[in-house]
Amino acid sequence: MEPPDTVGNLDHMVEAVALSGAPDSSTGQNDISPVDMLRIKQQMSNQCFEMKVQIHAGKSKRTCSTSEAERDLPEYVSELERVKTSHINRTLALHRMQMWHAIGDKLKQNDSEANSLKALGDRCMALCSHIKQLQKESRAFQDDITEIQKKRLEMKRQTYEKMKEMEELMSKKQHPDTEKYKAALEKGQENLEKHKKMTIMTQNVLRGILLACKVNWLDDPKLRDITMTLEDFPISD
Amino acid sequence: MSSLKPFSKLPALNSANILLVEFEEQFQLSLADALVEETAVTVNVRLAKSLPLPKENEESRPRIDLVVFIVNMMSELSFQSTEASLKHLDPGFFLGKVCFMVTNARNASVPTERLDSVRKLAASLHCPLLFAEDQTPAGVTNATERLLTILKVTAGHVPMATALYLSNLTRCTVPPDIDQPSFD
Repeated sequence: MEPPDTVGNLDHMVEAVALSGAPDSSTGQNDISPVDMLRIKQQMSNQCFEMKVQIHAGKSKRTCSTSEAERDLPEYVSELERVKTSHINRTLALHRMQMWHAIGDKLKQNDSEANSLKALGDRCMALCSHIKQLQKESRAFQDDITEIQKKRLEMKRQTYEKMKEMEELMSKKQHPDTEKYKAALEKGQENLEKHKKMTIMTQNVLRGILLACKVNWLDDPKLRDITMTLEDFPISD
Repeated sequence: MSSLKPFSKLPALNSANILLVEFEEQFQLSLADALVEETAVTVNVRLAKSLPLPKENEESRPRIDLVVFIVNMMSELSFQSTEASLKHLDPGFFLGKVCFMVTNARNASVPTERLDSVRKLAASLHCPLLFAEDQTPAGVTNATERLLTILKVTAGHVPMATALYLSNLTRCTVPPDIDQPSFD
């Protein structure tokens, strides 16, 4: 940090410059409005404040580690923020009061501007009541929508339950019927196989007898019919 | 070897001076063009490749309000040059008059350690870290606006804010899990 003397000197110099008013240094504008001058004045006071802070910081030095400083920092910052926000809130409140005072004075004067102010106020009132009414309507619509959504959800839930029931029933139906008749079905199929084998064997025997007897079965119609039916069953084993 | 001091000169009326330090000397040109278009305040832009600044200009150089270090993530040299330049800056600058601006941070070929080290550097110095996109004019405009906001505060043009206060609000912080591998 540079020595505080130079910064202190600079501080005095800036104030001297400000007091002597050096408008022809950098702006080059001949007519600076009062608003601009106020703005520039605020800038300079801000800059002087910064330099004063630097001087002050140079004076009160204490040795501490960076971690300690980092720990203390948030407290100071929050304190600063608290003070700043309260200052700004109060300034806003002050501006509000000033504004209302000016408006009140104006309204009392009863000239054209006051009339336009009153007209503006009436228009604002009309718009606000319109807004209120629209908001009421929209809220009613919103409630209707919520009701309908609830009903739809309820119906969906019921549909879902019914579908589940149906699935359950369908899966159940297969089982009891098959279980009961499975045994009987198997037995019946066994019987069928047995009878089938017996029939085939008998037919084979009959075919063997016919061939062995060397009977001419083509001429006799009864024999021919019997032999034709023998061909229907496949020769197995 | 002189170091840049924040309060060694007088401020000028209704003007702000910004110094852009960039190793590649590319982005600072487009930024400078966009910065001088500001009408409310006279913005003087000084460009530099690295610090220390040459001694010849010492007298004619005005008071610098904000020093912006532009770091290109694509090259390691950029970061190293920035680190070397930091030594030539008076510590009084780091109370809000220094800002880091990073370009090309979205590029896939950038190693994550480089961005982490820039972050840690900015966090240790309590300076804001801005990310900028330098290829499109919209990106340049965006970066200019943000720089102008910070510049106006550091030059004292904003009534209730000083550079130190703003730096407390905008300082870069390092997330606690920065050393753990990220998911991309």
